[in-house]
Amino acid sequence: MASLSEEVLLVVKKVRQRKQDGTLYLMAERIAWGPEGKDRFTVSHLYADIRCQKISPDGKAKVQLQLVLHTGESTTFHFANESSALKDREAAKELLQQLLPKFKKKANKELEEKNRMLQEDPVLFQLYKDLVVSQVISAEEFWANRLGGVNNTDPTLFNNKQEVGISGAFLADIRPQTDGCNGLRYNLTADIIESIFRTYPAVKQKYSENVPHNLTEKEFWTRFFQSHYFHRDRINTGTQDIFSECAKQDEKGLKSLVVQGVKNPLVDLLSLEDKTLDEGYGVSTTQPSTSNANRTVKESSNYAIIKRFNHHSAMVLAAGSRKGETPADQASETSSTDGNSRDSDFFQPPVKKVKLQEAIEYEDLQRENRPKTVALNLKKSDRYAHGPVPLQSQQYTTSQDIINSVNYIRHEMANYKPNLTQVVSSTAASSAIVALSPGGVLMQAGAQQAINQMVPSEVQGELKHLYVAAGELLRHFWSCFPVNTPFLEEKVINITFIGVNDYCHLC
Amino acid sequence: MKLNIEGLLVYFPYDYIYPEQYSYMLELKRTLDAKGHGVLEMPSGTGKTISLLSLIIAYQRAFPLEVTKLIYCSRTVPEIEKVIEELRKLMEFYSKETGESNNFLALALSSRKNLCIHPEVSSLRFGKEVDGKCHSLTASYIRAQRHSNPNLPVCRFYEEFDAVGRQVPLPPGVYNLDDLKDFGRRKGWCPYYLARYSILHANIVVYSYHYLLDPKIADLVSKELAKKSVVVFDEAHNIDNVCIDSMSVNITRRTLDRCQNNVDTLQNTIHKIKETDAAKLREEYRRLVEGLKEANVARETDIYLANPVLPDEILQEAVPGTIRTAEHFVGFLRRFLEYLKSRLRVQHVVQESAPQFLKDIFDKVCIDRKPLRFCAERLQSLLRTLEIADIADFSAVTLISNFATLVSTYSQGFTIIIEPFEDRTPTIANPVLHFSCMDPSIAIKPVFQRFQSVIITSGTLSPLDIYPRILDFRPVTMASFTMTLARTCLCPLIVGRGNDQVALSSKFETREDFAVIRNYGNLLLEMSAIVPDGIVAFFTSYVYMENIVASWYEQGILENIQRNKLIFIETQDAAETSMALEKYQEACENGRGAILLSVARGKVSEGIDFVHHFGRAVIMFGVPYVYTQSRILKARLEYLRDQFQIRENDFLTFDAMRHAAQCVGRAIRGKTDYGLMIFADKRYARADKRGKLPRWIQEHINDGSLNLTVDEAVQLAKHFLRQMAQPFRQEDQLGLSLLTLEQLQSEEMLQKITQIAHQT
Repeated sequence: MASLSEEVLLVVKKVRQRKQDGTLYLMAERIAWGPEGKDRFTVSHLYADIRCQKISPDGKAKVQLQLVLHTGESTTFHFANESSALKDREAAKELLQQLLPKFKKKANKELEEKNRMLQEDPVLFQLYKDLVVSQVISAEEFWANRLGGVNNTDPTLFNNKQEVGISGAFLADIRPQTDGCNGLRYNLTADIIESIFRTYPAVKQKYSENVPHNLTEKEFWTRFFQSHYFHRDRINTGTQDIFSECAKQDEKGLKSLVVQGVKNPLVDLLSLEDKTLDEGYGVSTTQPSTSNANRTVKESSNYAIIKRFNHHSAMVLAAGSRKGETPADQASETSSTDGNSRDSDFFQPPVKKVKLQEAIEYEDLQRENRPKTVALNLKKSDRYAHGPVPLQSQQYTTSQDIINSVNYIRHEMANYKPNLTQVVSSTAASSAIVALSPGGVLMQAGAQQAINQMVPSEVQGELKHLYVAAGELLRHFWSCFPVNTPFLEEKVINITFIGVNDYCHLC
Repeated sequence: MKLNIEGLLVYFPYDYIYPEQYSYMLELKRTLDAKGHGVLEMPSGTGKTISLLSLIIAYQRAFPLEVTKLIYCSRTVPEIEKVIEELRKLMEFYSKETGESNNFLALALSSRKNLCIHPEVSSLRFGKEVDGKCHSLTASYIRAQRHSNPNLPVCRFYEEFDAVGRQVPLPPGVYNLDDLKDFGRRKGWCPYYLARYSILHANIVVYSYHYLLDPKIADLVSKELAKKSVVVFDEAHNIDNVCIDSMSVNITRRTLDRCQNNVDTLQNTIHKIKETDAAKLREEYRRLVEGLKEANVARETDIYLANPVLPDEILQEAVPGTIRTAEHFVGFLRRFLEYLKSRLRVQHVVQESAPQFLKDIFDKVCIDRKPLRFCAERLQSLLRTLEIADIADFSAVTLISNFATLVSTYSQGFTIIIEPFEDRTPTIANPVLHFSCMDPSIAIKPVFQRFQSVIITSGTLSPLDIYPRILDFRPVTMASFTMTLARTCLCPLIVGRGNDQVALSSKFETREDFAVIRNYGNLLLEMSAIVPDGIVAFFTSYVYMENIVASWYEQGILENIQRNKLIFIETQDAAETSMALEKYQEACENGRGAILLSVARGKVSEGIDFVHHFGRAVIMFGVPYVYTQSRILKARLEYLRDQFQIRENDFLTFDAMRHAAQCVGRAIRGKTDYGLMIFADKRYARADKRGKLPRWIQEHINDGSLNLTVDEAVQLAKHFLRQMAQPFRQEDQLGLSLLTLEQLQSEEMLQKITQIAHQT
């Protein structure tokens, strides 16, 4: 078999594809399917090319798995083994689930780069539409010699890529969709899951505890979305909910953050007041009491929301700044801050001094003695403030030019002497007149200019696209030579065929 | 630079000066010359503090006999420390210019919590605990006991200070709280008592309002300060509330229960002492008979809380016979307590004046006015005699006796309101007796009478004339200064309508209106998309904010805002809010941007500055009126109307607008700073509201920005922010809003400067 050199991770028999029975192979880098009785694959996808997998709902008669590629194509496999169809599918799914994210990173990055290039370059985008979307050439061919930069980047650069923070609204981005029968569907991507894990380590812990021993992944997330934990306005009362523990842990985390106190003394509201009034003095008792007993359900749910928002924002912020610190680091850090708070006097003054100095500084009252920096020099700050304005057509000849040329002509005319012996013949003169009158040979230039305005802009645009597309095709065509592989040969034939069919009317 | 302020040589520690600083110093000097009081309003961030310090210190140096001391009162601990740091800068400049180290002593004083260096005591979290613990280590009878029993715990810092600290005065210099602690650690002296002792001969004292305004503390700390002092109240826009708070008392059923326990403890202790040491009680009685209160000069550490009434009200007589013996006094307290309990058993709201209360108490339980007046004094004497170490436990009975003394001393300016339940929960019985001060002038009167110059200053004191009226004094100067600007760095916008033309307002009728709430949400959402870094939004009250946040959450507005910025929300828990604040600043710092939802009149709006990128826009949702249904407020409004001829509405609007101005003013802290100020309520457009904003904000509101829709506001804001983002250099300011010495001395500029101060 062709796959001998590769490591085969899973083999599933009796899988139909396009109504044909066959065997599905999951290998280290690709997934492949070959029809029964043949020893070559008719379907083969690299994992990196796969955008996502979809499975048919559990109740359906057909047990299917669909792979959607980045290009938008999709391949559907039908698991036909009657006794173990579901099990086979689950096995394939699970394995894919583990494999895909590994390749996703790379694919994503490439995809991102491609996307960016397309967005930034409208001409390229048009070309892409003309050639790839209309299936003139394949996407790989299109990108083959454009993405050189992306693939050949220095591996160290690749590793040092900037840590991307988490969107503050990632939970909001999981918009539930109604599935039409009283249910909600949440679409989770690996990114969202990662965001959830990074922001809420407690959930990650729950996940590793429960999946896959107690719950399937799907069940886990279903429970997550049903939980009071996710819906922040509810007060968690149910103890059977596995996430109530998370909520408690969060509470604890929040408390410990609060107890730790703040480092910047200027924002420490507790030590703001010098001498607080003793209990019982003062008039400001109009505020409702904050004890939980007196709170109505609505009030405490409002309070819960507020607390959650603070917590969420703090966690998002922390997730962004953690930057792959190991947990051990964190632990040591917290313990050292604990040490701080016990004997705060030794650590506080520097921060405090700096903050105080900052607070009393008037930079404009002092003489500047900072190193000179180069200021952004805008010639027309109006244009910066109001955005670009279409440039008016300009006369490039200055008045000085005009005066000069007038003087020059005057000078020429003053010295002009008609040389009558050299005058053209009458026939030549009349033909010249014909040529110069409208419709004449020499007036073609004017007519051509008219075409420029006569042809509607769409047609012009299309022409331009065709021109660019043909140019690109030709480039591909010529890059195939010398033809030394069957693939290239095929490509040459292909392009020639397309070129003749679609583009020859240009010539 | 060295300035000449009407013949006075003033050292100013900067190379440049703002014109308004010069003008401010002129006014200040005139006030000091006239030995009168002044009200000065100058925008925040224009260097008010350094101007004050420069001028007053120059004055002190020039006329050492006229002004002996500067007492600088500020509101919060960070403010106090900032003042000291500015002072340090000034002093360094002095010694650099004059080449000699001057012998000025300047120091900050704060509570024990901020100054204590005793390892055990200072680790306590709350100020009250620290005070109590300190007292239990340093009270004179405890120290006397130690002579017989050396195993008792001791505060070696206090002992050391007591032994040698008083002989050696604190060397001249500038001492911040941390410096005092360092000094204390080096010498092994208690910094708190060192500071309290040193303020008597210090040239400059910086401390909190309470040390002058709260009679319970003022009597202890500030009694012996020289009359020829200049007193400055900085950030004084809320000074009337501080005055009122310090004189008001609330009594709940819980207070009375705890008080009952206290009285029982007292009783038991008296019994015990009677058996073991009856002579002590006899000695106390003898002392009280002879009225030898003065002779018994209490050691500084003994007095835990002094008399709650003002110095000149304190009687110089002997304690009346009915409460002289310890048992009688405890019996008296019991009777008083029972009476209060009976008063709390009411079904309906009662409001009465102090004389009415006194008459009633005489009719019901035959308690006379005179023993009531001595209640606080007598209790202190008893607690001292009984040698009770942990005085913090006796706060309830102290409160009751303070109340007794106050109610029998002042017949005017106070009201008693007994409410059987909270208005919001009429079914839950929670009786409260409010003894509430309505006249801020009572607490501040002795300050005005005693010190030759009192300066009241803040960034927001408009309208200026109302402060002299409610504080009942006659200023010699009243001036409001504008901010000279080379570029308009503040942009006040009044958003009166949503994009759907719904009028935006937080007034009661439309408070629950979804259209308004949605439009408010839209405003915040749109702003979150265009404003860089930090946005601070203020709501009129905590309950209102909770409701709006819940509503925004349900409508998905918060989710959309989260796409642009992180959201942090003030809670009623100060520790939680501090954390949120720090995270907010972190998010602004690292470029993610954040929104802080906060409450006007809350702790954040009063004490936290949002400089530069920490606050590029402030949105004030609604007009922050005080909760008007409160009976205490109603009583106060009535009193203001009858006594000072201030109409209810005028006062309410004034109060709301000063808080709104405080909130929006948080964002601008200097001329290089910039920020949007968005007033999201159509009522701000009215002349009576707008006219009460400080002049430096008012003059930037043009007619075009009075009733904007959300979209229009966004357009204006975008334009403003783009302009502000341009580089702003010193050269741009020079000659306009920033002057060199030469520019300052030009005839033309001096002419201009006279127009900055707006006299009223």
